[in-house]
Amino acid sequence: MAQRFAPLLDAPERSSAASGGPFALDRALLDDLADMALKTAKSAGASYADIRLGETTREYSYAKDQRLEHFDERSSRGFGLRVLLGGSWGFYGARRLDAASVREGVARALENARAVQPIQGRPIALEELPAHQAEWIMPMGEDPFAVSTGAKADLLLAICAAARDNGADFCSASLSLAREERLFANSFGARILQTRTRVHPSFTATAIDRAAGRMASRDSLTPARGAGWEYVTGAGLLEEAALAGRQAREKIAAKPVVSGETDVIIDPTNLWLTIHETVGHSTELDRVLGWEANFAGTSFVKPSMLDNLRFGSELMTIIADRSQPGALSTIGYDDDGAPADSAEFRIIDKGVFRNFQMALGQAHYIGLSSSNGCAYADSPTSFPIQRMPNISLAPNPEKCSLDELVGGIEYGIYVVGAGSWSIDQQRDNFQFGGQLFYEIKNGKLGDMLRDGAYQGRTIPFWNSLDGLGDASTYHLDGTFTCGKAEPVQVAPVSHGSPPARFRNVRVLNTSGGA
Amino acid sequence: MFLSSDDAKAIAGNIIAKSAADACVVKIDGGEDYSLRFARGGATTNIATSEASVRISSHIGGRIGSATTGSLDAEALDAARARSEDIARMLPVDPDYVAPLGPQDYDASARYDDNAESLKLDALAAQAARVIEEGARRNVDTFGCASSARRFECLSTSNGLFAYERRSEIDLSATARNKADTWSGWAGAHEFFGARLDAEAIARRACEKAAHDVAPVDLEPGDYAVILEPAAVAELAFWVMSAMDARAADEGRSFYSRPGGGALVGEKLFDEKFTIRIDPADPLAPEGGVGWEGVPHRARAFIDKGVVTSLYRSRSWAQKTEAEPIPFARNFIVEGGDASLDDMIRSVKRGVLVTRIWYENIVEPKSLLLTGLTRDGNFLIENGRVTAPVRNMRFNQRLGELFGRIVALGKTERTWRAAGGGGAPAAPPMLAEKFHFSSKSSGI
Repeated sequence: MAQRFAPLLDAPERSSAASGGPFALDRALLDDLADMALKTAKSAGASYADIRLGETTREYSYAKDQRLEHFDERSSRGFGLRVLLGGSWGFYGARRLDAASVREGVARALENARAVQPIQGRPIALEELPAHQAEWIMPMGEDPFAVSTGAKADLLLAICAAARDNGADFCSASLSLAREERLFANSFGARILQTRTRVHPSFTATAIDRAAGRMASRDSLTPARGAGWEYVTGAGLLEEAALAGRQAREKIAAKPVVSGETDVIIDPTNLWLTIHETVGHSTELDRVLGWEANFAGTSFVKPSMLDNLRFGSELMTIIADRSQPGALSTIGYDDDGAPADSAEFRIIDKGVFRNFQMALGQAHYIGLSSSNGCAYADSPTSFPIQRMPNISLAPNPEKCSLDELVGGIEYGIYVVGAGSWSIDQQRDNFQFGGQLFYEIKNGKLGDMLRDGAYQGRTIPFWNSLDGLGDASTYHLDGTFTCGKAEPVQVAPVSHGSPPARFRNVRVLNTSGGA
Repeated sequence: MFLSSDDAKAIAGNIIAKSAADACVVKIDGGEDYSLRFARGGATTNIATSEASVRISSHIGGRIGSATTGSLDAEALDAARARSEDIARMLPVDPDYVAPLGPQDYDASARYDDNAESLKLDALAAQAARVIEEGARRNVDTFGCASSARRFECLSTSNGLFAYERRSEIDLSATARNKADTWSGWAGAHEFFGARLDAEAIARRACEKAAHDVAPVDLEPGDYAVILEPAAVAELAFWVMSAMDARAADEGRSFYSRPGGGALVGEKLFDEKFTIRIDPADPLAPEGGVGWEGVPHRARAFIDKGVVTSLYRSRSWAQKTEAEPIPFARNFIVEGGDASLDDMIRSVKRGVLVTRIWYENIVEPKSLLLTGLTRDGNFLIENGRVTAPVRNMRFNQRLGELFGRIVALGKTERTWRAAGGGGAPAAPPMLAEKFHFSSKSSGI
């Protein structure tokens, strides 16, 4: 019992914001713990071992109308050790950072590897990665954790007021912050210390027509970013909230979308989610191998389709990266220790499928020699799995504006902002809603519409792409919370795109026969 | 890290004793988790973790600031307490402030297996082996996840409340796919007591559903009679339950909003065969005794014979509307009937038997229009017999209409944990008419 309450750290816990530097943790302590863990694991017979040690700090605040309902700051430190013993993985993680806990963690991880050996089947095999020694710090302006609580509360209440002063009956606003600080070390000799911060201001404005029994809401279009407080203050949230209040009120009285096949222009504030679900997840190699078959699902894409599947039209080039400034998957090294430049590749090149996303130990299943830097563990105490880098639709190299895209449509719909979403477990049949729908008539944007969604099948949809905005129309969006694996892990990821035009898409009226 | 009641009480008591706030609330939770996954008959990833977190909420002048730490180190706890006080002092006064609860009387809930500590990875590997062996016997590939946990939650306030609950969980789910990769089946179960988990039955059901070599039939979209197996009914009922927020209803933002104002409590919105209730003492799906914000869960119906009888309500909204606070429940029971699955199948001229649904999302909250897809075991019923696997489809279905035209219900059974994340509802198989399939999916 006494052991449970013994000091768990050589140094007292302190918030990252208070440290004054980019790293809050004691580097020497982390190095010592990593050395001890890897040495002990190897001497016990592990053919490979890696460890992630670090701290995750989060802050979440939420306001509804005139009330700041919630303000919580949370911090947790811990480690996760992965060993490969006799061809089986063993993993142990704990929210503690002291020598005794890590020593126990080595024994438990080895014990776990032995426990699964009776059902191992094909042994786990790994490629060797270069042993990088590095520090990486995300560039950032003002530390959002250092901004006063009162300023954040005032901002959220002001957002609610702006929406309600402009037509919304209700408004909720939230601010999510996260910081990861992590040391990665492995038995190849890698040692990488990194830190990054992300912010997501958000709100929902809602208008009610009680007599008609109708409501309409309009969510913020301001995306989550890897950034500091300067992004939050520069995002124009009050102006957007005022606009959203007016648009929610307008939407409630708008005419409904007419169901049927029509041309659509999808704004990047909506298209990011379609890219994420149809391209991002379908090209994850672990899904293709069946490792997610029991939960997140498999994929319609097969290894035999590499270099010959016509995924989309010639306009479709999908690029993976870990380097876009402000993007949520931008980082120096992935959670297997692979450098960011290994995650710079084309998934789709001019419509043809070219690359899967891979984590350590997967490439050899399709005859390749190494991972392409797509591993992430959502906490030091989580097992690293294949997750998306930033995955984006490249803009049109030819000059093309939104107006030019609209000009090419006789009748159609322009979809803005992400709404309800759903896709089958092999990433074929999808349905996406939106925040705002506008009629396009004779090449011009027209009235607002309500109650819309679009439905399709991944390959025909992307092959119907026939217009794409140029670089001046490019917008980076994304999410904090892409879910995958058992137990579920959530990953931040960004997707950029220009607006894009698709022909003959099935559009639904969700208030009629959907 | 699994703490006993005495250990948790000691930590919470120390924090409250040092508090400089008007009032203080301490929530401690944590535990030990084990999980292993397997694919194509072999192990892939596994974890064992030990975690605890302490959330300290300081109440100062009608404001509440919270800070959470993942450490039980005294210095870390002091820092978190001080930080929560700093946050509270910097916030605006809460116009709907509610003081922490005092002592409560909680119903007992039997959800802890004294043998839980033994449910480590070797025991889970043995469960997984049953699935892998059955797959080999039936010549199908098997995939799945076995997990176990023992967890605790403690809530303590400076007004004299101390509540502690613990639970153990064991969970096995299995997906089987035929060798041609053209069909799949699934089964899963979640139990609080390890001895109740029947791994062989799960393995058998998943593999039987997948062991079809004939090509699946393609159905045209449209309205079909459906027999939804318990896991699918529980998923759908979760969305009915999750929309039952009193505030959203009162504010006109919900399916349960009365046109013109107010909530539709007391109104019959569903078929009289539809009842959803919770009960901490229920042997099949016991809800915990301690609800959100420390409000006790009591045995109650949310929907009774089609009539809305309760909506869940936060303490602040309850205070504002002078109504009873009712916590949200994840472990709920959909009452069953006396039809057997075979009876239901025999009564269907043409319809679809649905094992499981996937990736649901509310499309339109006012009408409870839900979209999603069938998955891992969809079968065509013709003239009272299951005749062929049928390819998966997307549905767009208003849940009020679905649960408003129930034809028959079978015996309620405990389901998997998937519904909405957390909890394990109990639900029966259900025969309903005019389930709307909107489009085809090639996903298998």
